[in-house]
Amino acid sequence: MNGDADSKLAGAAADGETSKPRQRFVLEETGFDEVPEKYRKYYRKWKGPSDDLGPNEVLCPVCKVVIRSTRELRPGDRVYCMACFTRFTVTRSELGALEATIEY
Amino acid sequence: MAESGSDVHSLSPDRFLEEVHSFEFWFHAVEGYLSATRFGRRPQTQEAPLSESERDRLITVLCHYCVGETAALEASSGLIAIAPNRLAKVFLATQVVDEGRHLEVLLHRLQDLGVTEPEQEIERRATGSLLAFKRRLLELVEGRDWEAAIFAQNVILESLEFTVFQAHAETADPVTRDVLQGIVKDERRHIGFGENELGRRLKVSPHVRARLAAVRHELDPLVLASCDETMAQLGTPPAERPEIGRSYLAAVHRLGFA
Repeated sequence: MNGDADSKLAGAAADGETSKPRQRFVLEETGFDEVPEKYRKYYRKWKGPSDDLGPNEVLCPVCKVVIRSTRELRPGDRVYCMACFTRFTVTRSELGALEATIEY
Repeated sequence: MAESGSDVHSLSPDRFLEEVHSFEFWFHAVEGYLSATRFGRRPQTQEAPLSESERDRLITVLCHYCVGETAALEASSGLIAIAPNRLAKVFLATQVVDEGRHLEVLLHRLQDLGVTEPEQEIERRATGSLLAFKRRLLELVEGRDWEAAIFAQNVILESLEFTVFQAHAETADPVTRDVLQGIVKDERRHIGFGENELGRRLKVSPHVRARLAAVRHELDPLVLASCDETMAQLGTPPAERPEIGRSYLAAVHRLGFA
């Protein structure tokens, strides 16, 4: 993970999650081919409702692609879906799952 | 463009929009899934035998798709002239290319299936609701109503195509599945552009919402009827058909048209 990029990532967790260091992830391409090559590792195909998302992943509600980050996601983070051009803020649902909330 | 080694999510919102609306982005995106295909078909995909009735139903469905794609081709090219900014104009130029390709691969698939005069066949099999939708969409473009035309094309038409094509691809013969899966990948950009463009405009001009609600009221029945006809041809049980509209309904809900 690039430290400079880290510092540019938007948003901060608004709860106790800020006190714990974030997990880091090395992303590898998974066969998602709908964006230019340099961006492909940030996305993967969604396998349906039984698909367990990792702590660095959130589902795009517009086009149903899994958005991935090199770090653990927390509420308040900004993520982009390049497959459908959409910007999101990460939120936590009532059930505790991470969700992507659209920002027009 | 993101610097090598940096995280895509660290782009500024303006830089992100500039990037994804560019021809450069489009070119490298479609290269990933189209470069190895011919008329949307991967070289290793083999034709599966179809019964005469399956073939006839497939021809009807593909003819319906061709009407929708022709509507989108004509409308998106007309929209370039009234697009409010450079990013939207450039994006629509890429959408025109996508729609032209969709029409071409579908016509080619009809020829594969033995249709010698595809354009005449489309005219013969097109449904009244689809033709009425197309006519109204083109009127909105000719009337230079940017928001209503984008709503009709990129939210209503594209969302429903996105879901119908995905559902059809799951049960289609291998060659038709290749063709449809390639189209669905393009549709992600089209639906995302429409929803985001309207979402941004509604944020600063909430009065537009009432006009779009009227457009929705007028066009929903046409496009839903045509979906229903298509799903009937595909043999989808009536109980499963409401699911087809879920992507579209979710989009209009996010835009505040619950």
